[in-house]
Amino acid sequence: MTINRRNFLQAGAVIAAGGVATMTGCASVGGSSGPKVVIIGGGYGGATAAKYIKMWGPTIDVTIIERNTSFISCPISNLVLGGSQTMADITVSYDVLQKKYGVKIVNGDATAVDVEKKVVRMANGDAIPFDRVILSPGIDFMYEALPGLNNAAAQARFFHAWKAGPQTVALRRQLEAMPDGGVYAIAIPEAPYRCPPGPYERACQVAAYFKKSKPKSKVLILDANMDVTSKAGLFKKAWAEMYPGMVEYRGSSKLVDVDVATSTAKLEFGDVKADVLNALPPMKAGSIANPFITANKRWCEVNWLTYEAKNVPGVHLLGDALQIAPAMPKSAHMANNHGKICAAAVVALLTGEQPNPSPTLNNTCYSFLSADRVVHVASIHKYDEKDKTMKAVPGSGGVSTAATELEAQYAMAWAKNIWADTLG
Amino acid sequence: MNKKAKVLISTLFMAAGLVTPAYAQAPATPAPVAPSGPTFAPSNLTPQGVRSMAATCAACHGTNGVSVGGAIGGLAGLNKDYFVIQMKHFKDGKRDATLMHQISKGYSEAETAALAEYFAAQKR
Repeated sequence: MTINRRNFLQAGAVIAAGGVATMTGCASVGGSSGPKVVIIGGGYGGATAAKYIKMWGPTIDVTIIERNTSFISCPISNLVLGGSQTMADITVSYDVLQKKYGVKIVNGDATAVDVEKKVVRMANGDAIPFDRVILSPGIDFMYEALPGLNNAAAQARFFHAWKAGPQTVALRRQLEAMPDGGVYAIAIPEAPYRCPPGPYERACQVAAYFKKSKPKSKVLILDANMDVTSKAGLFKKAWAEMYPGMVEYRGSSKLVDVDVATSTAKLEFGDVKADVLNALPPMKAGSIANPFITANKRWCEVNWLTYEAKNVPGVHLLGDALQIAPAMPKSAHMANNHGKICAAAVVALLTGEQPNPSPTLNNTCYSFLSADRVVHVASIHKYDEKDKTMKAVPGSGGVSTAATELEAQYAMAWAKNIWADTLG
Repeated sequence: MNKKAKVLISTLFMAAGLVTPAYAQAPATPAPVAPSGPTFAPSNLTPQGVRSMAATCAACHGTNGVSVGGAIGGLAGLNKDYFVIQMKHFKDGKRDATLMHQISKGYSEAETAALAEYFAAQKR
């Protein structure tokens, strides 16, 4: 943040520059007169935190800063690639959050959190004041690990589609344009990354599309990890039995670069040419959270009772940006659960009460092996007071015994309920 | 019997699910501790603690147990005895499940009873 922008901000405040500055100014006079919570990121973590803070502390003034105008779900987005769902099916409005719960939505880009002045600085020069700030920024991609893709022109041709939205549509178009007999390759980075079973589900969904429309085509999984990182037995069974001869899995096949000119995946050992190359770069906490990254220069460590940053109390963090506790996935369901514990802690801290000393989290991740066969992994996590971390409850949790249509119904019901729980 | 032995025995009884609800709800009761296993904080069964725990059910079963998802049933307004028995049957395998047999084992008897009361009091 430059001095110039600060000066501009002060000038802007004097002439009432409209937009956010005006809105928050009004809020401090009328409307919610309570303390201000500003949440950066309206995904599963941030939107859930906003809704539950308003449910449990109605007088608190809650603002979400979000760059997208509506919520697009990553869970279920692989089905758009498979062709059984549309973008409209996975898009949810912020209207209910605003109208029913009184959450303010500011559409724009946050550029910095000024902890001393207690404002979030925006790309348009606005400054949004807070008493407590929650960052739920999701992930950013470490393109520096894939030099050939580390420029805008390459990224306009090779998609991650690991944030549901325009890239989901673009990748689907590439699959549609690919001739029958072509190769789709997905490159998976070393764990941890967002949504452990997601890449394997995506391989299934692309295979389901090929089986129906391009049966001579191949799906190649290039995994930097030694083996499938989630639901391994269930995915391997699906590839062998549902898509025989179509899906090839290669473990310990780390992508180190992409030759853009020839659409070639450069692996540690050997090269692979693909008609559609879907490279997932290594991931880190969204860049707005950079000052709070304390683990491996990638993730943010938190106090699991309050979700406050380890290095800066008073700043809360949620979701995929966190350095995970043992056996905790980076998932939408987990981010939703983080949001609720954080909401309860923020309400408690703003009203002078003790945060819950014994929080519980659970997780359910469904994976669609086809349009109508689904498997799950589930877990329950509680706070270990000796090690000050969340741990899975021994004897609980597990995976499906087989892929079923019944779980496909539950998975779609899960999606509808978690969207409503997060946003409506 | 020394104090340590008493604690050990009550821990064993809790682990076996033989403890009475009143005892289990006493705030000072330590959570079950397996040898070399996790050291979980004691359950928080205050109204705020139960509300937060119930919120872990909401991602699948809807906010405050009101399901809008179709195939997954709501929990709001369920009879509390029915809730407790179903969770017990999920745990011991008497009720068929796709995943609730795995989820139910993450909540102790005292926690399940508190969740049952919470959801029974929610409007459908």
